[in-house]
Amino acid sequence: MKRNFILYFSFTLTLAGIFLFAPLIGAAFLRAATGEIITNVELPTLSGDKQPLLTDAAVNVFVFFKPDHENSQTTLTHLNELEREFAGKPVHWTAVVSDSFEPAEIEAEVKALGFTLPVLIDTGDKLYGHLAVAMTPNIGITDKQHKLIADLPFTKVNYTTVIRGYIRHQLKEISDAELQAILNPPRATMGGNGEEAHRHLKYAGKLFQAGLYEKALENVQTSLVKDPNLAAAHALQGQILSAQGLRDEALKAYDTALKLDPSNETALSGKNDLLNNSKQP
Amino acid sequence: MKNSLWLNPDVKTRRNNMSLIAFCRRVIKGSAMLLLASLCLAVISCAAEKTTDTANPAIRANQLDPPPPTYRTAAVVVKQSGSMPGRPPQRPLSAGVKAASLHSPFADGNCILCHMKQDPNAPGPLLKPVNEICLDCHGDFKEFLNAKFTHGPTLGSCVNCHNPHNSIYPMLLEENISTLCLGCHSDMKAKTTEAHVKHDATIKDKACINCHNPHGANVEHLLVDLPFNLCVTCHGEDDVIDNEGNRLTNFKELLAENKEQHGPVKNKDCSACHNPHGGKYFRLLDKEYPAEFYSPYDPQLYSLCFECHENRVFEEPQTETLTLFRNGTRNLHYLHVNKTERGRTCRACHEVHASQQAHHIREGVPYGSTGWVLKIRYSPTPSGGTCVKNCHDTKSYNNLTAVSEAKK
Repeated sequence: MKRNFILYFSFTLTLAGIFLFAPLIGAAFLRAATGEIITNVELPTLSGDKQPLLTDAAVNVFVFFKPDHENSQTTLTHLNELEREFAGKPVHWTAVVSDSFEPAEIEAEVKALGFTLPVLIDTGDKLYGHLAVAMTPNIGITDKQHKLIADLPFTKVNYTTVIRGYIRHQLKEISDAELQAILNPPRATMGGNGEEAHRHLKYAGKLFQAGLYEKALENVQTSLVKDPNLAAAHALQGQILSAQGLRDEALKAYDTALKLDPSNETALSGKNDLLNNSKQP
Repeated sequence: MKNSLWLNPDVKTRRNNMSLIAFCRRVIKGSAMLLLASLCLAVISCAAEKTTDTANPAIRANQLDPPPPTYRTAAVVVKQSGSMPGRPPQRPLSAGVKAASLHSPFADGNCILCHMKQDPNAPGPLLKPVNEICLDCHGDFKEFLNAKFTHGPTLGSCVNCHNPHNSIYPMLLEENISTLCLGCHSDMKAKTTEAHVKHDATIKDKACINCHNPHGANVEHLLVDLPFNLCVTCHGEDDVIDNEGNRLTNFKELLAENKEQHGPVKNKDCSACHNPHGGKYFRLLDKEYPAEFYSPYDPQLYSLCFECHENRVFEEPQTETLTLFRNGTRNLHYLHVNKTERGRTCRACHEVHASQQAHHIREGVPYGSTGWVLKIRYSPTPSGGTCVKNCHDTKSYNNLTAVSEAKK
């Protein structure tokens, strides 16, 4: 037992040396940078047996938490949900807690949260110290080879989304680009000239269908003020002008539409119709 | 089979065999029973309709005559006491009431674009479900309805919040934004109104929708963007002043100049420490954090930091695991912070947002009342670091092998 401890401690120190130069960027494992291999350890569990931190599952997810701690509670609840979501997939889940907390306290917490994943007890905070965990809760995600893919300290916004994203990416369910879109989600801004242009165009289309040409023309022109390069708006303008009998102006509008979008079907057929009609006696 | 009068094929034969009086009695009795049954059915169907409406706003919205306001949930309570004068929800404003926003089809008198009839007084039912009609022109909103995070009322019906005709509020809203949002989000109403420290972003300009997109978004809580990206919309400028007249940090500038950033800043999660809806602690902090340079150690005072950082780091004088800021096993965090009187608070050594020096060590500390800054010159080593003479004599530490007192 003592020999094991000495071996473990020496190994920890050696690894510590390796990891000391690891970049300390946005991470909570100060001695394990993403891309590095995490040393696997077997730890006693809350239920009395022993279990490894990592397995040969395609994805390993482990979380450092502590009882009576709001962010830990939120995280454990989310992990429970995620575990159910990924049920049947090669994802291994564990939670790690310091042995400085009373087992009864940990048990009560886990029970209250309905947390069903294995809870490993970090005796003497050795694993905590080995990785130099700077935050709690903190989630680590590794691949099958135990390479650290993500080091995720708790965030109040999008935490579960990001964890899910990393797992799905590792399971090859989403692409690199999709993961990036999760990490840096596109801004959901309302309004803007482009949107208003489309709105007026659609409205103009409805007015045109209802035979209200003047109003339709007014709106299509508003659309073009917002976005002068909107080919569909020029094409609709052509249709309206054509319906009003303004052949030359309509042709001009169709030409502008086709200049912007040579494949615009409305403009192609509209222009074609006008030219064919003019050939008829 | 008492009431089978109208169903019985032998009724004629039987009627012939009855006296006129008996027949009349029978008819009256049957009619009464039918009337009673009809009344029951009407009551039941009315109740069922009411339940369906409450559960499905889309159905509710498609009715020609909108249900009374009491059919709505929390928003209704607001609506009943709201300031939309003289009209039930979803109907045009009464004549003479000046509209702040006007929907083009209504303004143009084109009822037929949405309704069955071109008659402003009786336009008839809608052509199709209300959201389908709206999205015909407002197709850009499909992006939000299909976003990762969506808003129930929006999915239910656009007219939960908007009036499709006109409104005394901008964007055809049924109420002003705050009233509309807080009508359902009553918990937020309490938070924002009772907050000792208020955040202008929740009150001014577009209020809630300064940060949230009520239609849908790609970030939790319907945030338009990640918190940091939103915050720097205002806090990335030089002229932001707090309620006491203090100029606030320009974070775009600060972060451009200081690459050593605190985790939440790096993770764009300002809400890790700040509550954007307001609260009781200075600078909108979410929990207690010492405002002063010195303070007796009390874990309660560091509640904010201990949301993420391990409190035991500051409570155990000796450790091999809890912190790298130790000389051998002597815990230097404990040494600096855990004192009964002049304990150094986090701010004594660390910048909370970003710094030039490693481990978020600040550039200097204010000394005296003249604003002079005493430089902190910290240099990290792979297993420790050195602080050049400033607060104390030059001292080094090594978390693997302790630096002896003499060497320090």
